Amino acid sequence: MVDESTRKTLSNIPLLKTKAGPREKELWVQRLKEEYQSLIKYVQNNKDADNDWFRLESNKEGTKWFGKCWFIHELLKYEFDVEFEIPVTYPTTAPEIALPELDGKTAKMYRGGKICLSDHFKPLWARNVPKFGIGHAMALGLGPWLAVEIPDLISKGVISYKEKSEK
Amino acid sequence: MADWEEVKRLAADFQKVQLSSTTQKLSERNCIEIVSWLIDRKMLDLIFTSDGKEYITPNQLVSDIRGELYDHGGRINLVELAKVIGVDLAHINTYLNDVLKGNKEIQSVLGQLVDSSYLIRIAGEINEKLSQQGQINISDLTIQYDLPADFLQSQVVEKNLGKIIFGKQDKNDSKVYFTESFISRTKAKIKGSLAGLTRPTPITSILNNIDISEKLFFSLFDQTALYGTLTGRMTGAQYIPNVYARTQNEWVNHFYKQNGYLEFDALSRLGITDQKTYIKKQLVNQEYEILHSCIVSKSILERVDADIDECISSKSFIDLQNNLPSVFNQKDEEMILNLILTSQKRSQTILIENYLLSKAFVDKLLKDCESLIQEKAKNTVESGKYQQYQISLQAASSKNQKAEELEEKVDKREERRKKAAGGKSGGGTQGRETKTKSTKKAARGGNRNNSESDGGEKEEKKVLEIINFDDAKDVLQLPLEEEGIEDDILQQIIEYLLPKLNEDALQQAANIFATTIADRTANRRQTHNEIQSKLNALISDVRLFEKGLKLLSADIQAQLIKYLLKSVCTDIVTEILNYIASEQNLAPPTENLSNEQRLKFVNDLPSEYKHTILPVVKSLTGQSIEDFLMTVETALSACSMILKKIDKKKDRTLVLNHKYQLLEELNKSEDLALILHLAVVAIFTTATQTMLHCSGRHVSGVLSFLKQYLSDEQVMELISYHDFVTLMLSGGSEAENAKEKLKEKVSTIKKIANDFKKPGTEKS
Repeated sequence: MVDESTRKTLSNIPLLKTKAGPREKELWVQRLKEEYQSLIKYVQNNKDADNDWFRLESNKEGTKWFGKCWFIHELLKYEFDVEFEIPVTYPTTAPEIALPELDGKTAKMYRGGKICLSDHFKPLWARNVPKFGIGHAMALGLGPWLAVEIPDLISKGVISYKEKSEK
Repeated sequence: MADWEEVKRLAADFQKVQLSSTTQKLSERNCIEIVSWLIDRKMLDLIFTSDGKEYITPNQLVSDIRGELYDHGGRINLVELAKVIGVDLAHINTYLNDVLKGNKEIQSVLGQLVDSSYLIRIAGEINEKLSQQGQINISDLTIQYDLPADFLQSQVVEKNLGKIIFGKQDKNDSKVYFTESFISRTKAKIKGSLAGLTRPTPITSILNNIDISEKLFFSLFDQTALYGTLTGRMTGAQYIPNVYARTQNEWVNHFYKQNGYLEFDALSRLGITDQKTYIKKQLVNQEYEILHSCIVSKSILERVDADIDECISSKSFIDLQNNLPSVFNQKDEEMILNLILTSQKRSQTILIENYLLSKAFVDKLLKDCESLIQEKAKNTVESGKYQQYQISLQAASSKNQKAEELEEKVDKREERRKKAAGGKSGGGTQGRETKTKSTKKAARGGNRNNSESDGGEKEEKKVLEIINFDDAKDVLQLPLEEEGIEDDILQQIIEYLLPKLNEDALQQAANIFATTIADRTANRRQTHNEIQSKLNALISDVRLFEKGLKLLSADIQAQLIKYLLKSVCTDIVTEILNYIASEQNLAPPTENLSNEQRLKFVNDLPSEYKHTILPVVKSLTGQSIEDFLMTVETALSACSMILKKIDKKKDRTLVLNHKYQLLEELNKSEDLALILHLAVVAIFTTATQTMLHCSGRHVSGVLSFLKQYLSDEQVMELISYHDFVTLMLSGGSEAENAKEKLKEKVSTIKKIANDFKKPGTEKS
């Protein structure tokens, strides 16, 4: 089950209405607009709450998304690339978010760096088709995962802090 | 495609949003931590608000306080301030000094902040009020403005006096302010009310009337007090107008001068409580005596003295109540008398209630009663009360058995004496009756003197009340009323006199008693003798008559015996019965008793008499003079009388006397029938030397007996006279005629009788 703060952020992300996948030309545009609006709102919320933790952008059709996400641990900011594609069956199927940098570094990951989402995520998502969108996936999927895995990985020394200059 | 354009734009927007700088926001917790850290380090000076969510800088607080003060019109409560600003009261108190320091116009008073604008405003209000009410008290203001009196006094009123508040401070009470007009108004009121008063009036009632506070009245009174004085400076004080005091004094002076006395009651009615000192002050040069309820001038005392002198010299009385002013009560009078009466005068006077009686007057009254005393004493002695009294006295003096026996003896003797004295009512029980009566009276006397001690009452019982109140009253009322003595005092006088009267009466009674006892014994003896001699004479008469009778013929003899028994013997019996009756204290039998009455009377007699008297009475109806004589003798001896021995010589003289008596009567007599009768009897007596007792009816019989002694002519004369007499007495036509004839013959008859000599002597 998601924790209290997650639930709160989730409730602040606007829900979507249009149920359409990338193949449906007309409706997908509609869906994409809603996705954007939802994301904008979500990002805005995050920034307002001083809780900005990712950057995203998509290709022209909005089927491929990529960007960065970061996690602050012990006053150090760990930054990771993030990418995912919109599945054809979207929005019935949730997008599979991947962190390629961490591929092979943790057990809770599929090949290609796709993160293993919690047992709760999928039924939750299924119940909320088509209301949930990309923002929700980020908030419910990636956010909790980072919060659990990154400190663990850091403590294991699997990942180490990289100065910004290195980047 | 417009939609794609829109998506592009949205994507651009999205980028823009993501690229925009994030607000550097601290969480609340952090902030609190940071601030408290800073405060700890004294790097910051902040004040927590009471809800704990805000901080205020001290400067802000100070300015807030000022602002709120202004908002609230120049006055605010610190507690309220704390609430409004939302800061703990402690902070406000800490920063209060800063507030006050910065601004001299703001003051902190009793947990309140007040600024000068507010003070000026209330000063204005106070002034308004003052001008409305005329006077104002700080304490009232204190209540109204809820500010301490000192503060109001010093900061508000005094500061602004003459500037904003136009009035005057009371000199006596700095807390009171008033306007000039109010003062003059009040003064006028007081003046008016005081001037209007003529009687002493309690201050409170004055104040109630004019509606002025007590303090104000007293402070202003001195400035207005022209008409009178106050008895004090208290609430209960009285205002006494000068007019009143003056009239009071005048009244007192006048009254005293006019009447010569002065009543304390009258003074207290005038409202003078300490009368004696007042009088001392008022009547300085007067001579007076202080009595119980009044004072009295010398002149009155002198007058009374003179009156008493006069009373003594004129042997009358004076009524002090009338002579003195009516206000004097008994105590006063007593005091006056104490002052006036010298011991010499005192001895000459008697004081009964309001009356002063001179001794002489009382003596006169006693003299008035003398006859009463005499009479009463006599009555008392005669009714036996006195004896009773003496017995009781004796009984009281000696209480043992012996004395009682003695008493009994005395009692008996007394009783007998009483009987002898001819007590009016029945015999036996009388003694006891009087006894109870007297004790009753004594008890009544005792009641009257209830106030006396028990011993006195006992004593009282012993004194016989010979003269009771009513008796004395009857006697004294008239003379005393003529003197003008009233009924009530009459009673007093009588009560005063009664013991004396009684004493006198007792003395009198004793005297009378002594004399009567002496008298009575002598008297009784005398009567006894008289009766005895009388009876003796009668009996000897009877005897002589009997002798004469025996000379006559038997038939006439019987008639004459009967007649003799009926007349003379009956008289004797009656006499005896009378004597016995008096002796026995019985009602004396009437003169003409029938035989039955006589018997009845005798039957009622005690047996000692009854046995002897009864035969006598019976013999009256008998036929024999001898029987009578015998019975009479025993009867007389029962009556302790002695029958004289028959004396022949004496009989002779008796007969002679009888004869001369008869002749004398005869010569004097004019009655025609009686002349014959007397003549016949006289002749008989002369002829037989015995006496005859007969009635007219027996005359003819006697006459026929006398024939042998007389000459024929004499007999003829007598018979013819006798015939005419019978003719005359029988009445009828010839009565007058017979009378004439008789008249002619009277002288002859008289002559015959006178000339008749005893035949024996003639013959011999």
